[in-house]
Amino acid sequence: MPFDASTLDAPFAALKTYDWGVDAAAFKPIDEAIAATQGDAAAKAEIERRLIALLGPDTSRACKESVCRKLALIGTAAAVPALAPLLADGDNSHMARFALERIPAPEAGAALRSALGTVGGNLRIGMLSSLAARRDAAAVPLITGLLSAGGTTAVAAATALGAIQTPDAIAALAKADPLAGDAVARAIVDARLACAEGLLRHGKRTEARAIYDQLATAAAGKPAARAIELAATRGIVACLDTTAS
Amino acid sequence: MRRFVLCFVVGGCVTLGLAGVGGAADTAPEALARLDQLIDANDVQERAVAYERIRHGVKGEAATARFAARLPALPPDRQIELLRALADRGDAAALQEIEKLAEGGDPAVRSAALHAIGGLGSGDSVGLLAKALAAADPEKAAARRALVILRGDDATRQVVAALATAPPAVRAHLLDIVADRRARAAVPEFVGFVVDADAGVRAAAMRALAKLGGPEQVPGMVKGVLTAAAGQERTDAERALVTVCTQNPGHEQATESFLTIFKAANDSDREVLLSPLGRIGGPGAMAVVDGLLADTDPAKHEFGLVALTRWPDATVAPKLLDMVAKAPDATTRDRLLGALIRIAPLPDNKLNDKQKLELLEKTMQLCEQDADRSKVIERANAIRTVETFRFVLPYLDEPTLAEPACKSVVELAHHQQLRDAHKDDFTKALDKVIATTKNPELVERANRYKEGKTWARK
Repeated sequence: MPFDASTLDAPFAALKTYDWGVDAAAFKPIDEAIAATQGDAAAKAEIERRLIALLGPDTSRACKESVCRKLALIGTAAAVPALAPLLADGDNSHMARFALERIPAPEAGAALRSALGTVGGNLRIGMLSSLAARRDAAAVPLITGLLSAGGTTAVAAATALGAIQTPDAIAALAKADPLAGDAVARAIVDARLACAEGLLRHGKRTEARAIYDQLATAAAGKPAARAIELAATRGIVACLDTTAS
Repeated sequence: MRRFVLCFVVGGCVTLGLAGVGGAADTAPEALARLDQLIDANDVQERAVAYERIRHGVKGEAATARFAARLPALPPDRQIELLRALADRGDAAALQEIEKLAEGGDPAVRSAALHAIGGLGSGDSVGLLAKALAAADPEKAAARRALVILRGDDATRQVVAALATAPPAVRAHLLDIVADRRARAAVPEFVGFVVDADAGVRAAAMRALAKLGGPEQVPGMVKGVLTAAAGQERTDAERALVTVCTQNPGHEQATESFLTIFKAANDSDREVLLSPLGRIGGPGAMAVVDGLLADTDPAKHEFGLVALTRWPDATVAPKLLDMVAKAPDATTRDRLLGALIRIAPLPDNKLNDKQKLELLEKTMQLCEQDADRSKVIERANAIRTVETFRFVLPYLDEPTLAEPACKSVVELAHHQQLRDAHKDDFTKALDKVIATTKNPELVERANRYKEGKTWARK
């Protein structure tokens, strides 16, 4: 049966005026339509268009949250211009990232990278988290620059590079001192170990071994770095184990 | 398992897994060398790195054999660590070295080795493990667990075969192990042990039959009940027989088989079998009891009465109520009344809470002495409803029955949902308990419940 967009008029009207505490069942047909139009690009585009229209200033935070959840499922590059301005809005930034993280279009990554350079504080940490979740290789230079920002931003930057795991990300992490003893250094060690484990999982033993060897050498004989040495030893043995799949 | 890559001239490559070919050095030699160093490390955390890899990495029997070959030269605490890692690795290639340690000098190492054999061994390991059952704990416990978890039908066959030659103490353990292994096919081979000369063996055989037995084993189990020494052994044997007749697969046929045996039994055997008859219950058993109750022979009538008073559920309540009313003497009346008081609130007596309370109320009306009324009031607290609370409440004002009523009110108040749903009523009743009872524990509990607190049974 072809998709009849008019059946969603009432649910979209309900969603437009939705606020927390109100029964959300009235716009449940939108979710059902999203599921039912799987494979119907035109229908999905129509639903997306109507969802995007609800991201303006005249709808509540609750409405935008619900819209972002749905765009996370069916959003495309078309939704990015409406979502991007929300990234700088403290109330809606989180849910906008929720959608952009999951929209596969490169425009979504570009919006997050752009916001990374303009927002601050927790919002910036959120951008780092989302770029890490997308494993956005293009963001590595920007993120690398934040390793020197100190505090939680630098910790989040290190964690993001550990998730992205590209050669550039690995190289950027290798430049930092893993034994500085502060939270950033600990995050950098964690990130490097995450990179090494990722490489090992993909059969890149030599590259993984290089990271483990660097960490083991740096930590050798230093009681405060015992945990790092043990983790590196564990990794080295794993690299040597050619029987592992 | 070693991997060889055969590259053909045409360019295709095939990877073959070949077990036991070549030496350990061909399998991740650098990893093995590093693990050797880590196994020898003084730092437990470094050794843990090695054990993790032994557990989950460096695949292949040759590697396993190489790790196991390290065992003899290690000190006992390291032997135990490596044994645990090898057990988790799950490769039987380590078994030979582990079996040597199971018969070695250090008890803790022996226990760890026996434990490991459970996961790695086969039927061939049964002899060694059965021998260890004669040792003290923790070796015995390790051997017992190992014999339960040993894999394969052959292991089960070897355990059953060991029953024939094992000394009594070990035989009893082996019977429990056979039951834990759910070796149903072995039942005919060990049912004869229910009349063994050794009480421990008899008891273990009955325990095993309780888990595995069916209708075919009832004649043997009846012999077991009759052979069991009066007291705990008899009680346990009866419980095993009742389990087979009421819970195990084929329990209806098992009950029929038991009733046939009961009817054909001589008087002395019948006396012993009365208790399981009553506990088995059901219409077939009831018909037998009815026949006995109707018999003019006083001895047989007495058998019927005993069986009736030991009935497991409330299906006999109407008969008991009727018989109380017609009891020929006070002693009989007391016995029947006692049975009614016992069965009325039983949790699985086939009555709902309302019916249970109604039965107790009827029983109360038949009571002529305060001692019996006290028992009714105390038993009532097993029916956790507000109606029971209201039934008990008036007796707080009767001096001769106030103490059991206090106890029942407090027991009912113990259940928070019930108490909170009728908070005001319970608060008043608990105040009355505090003012009435001479039992300091009840006072303490009543005060706690009033404050919404719990109370841990001592």
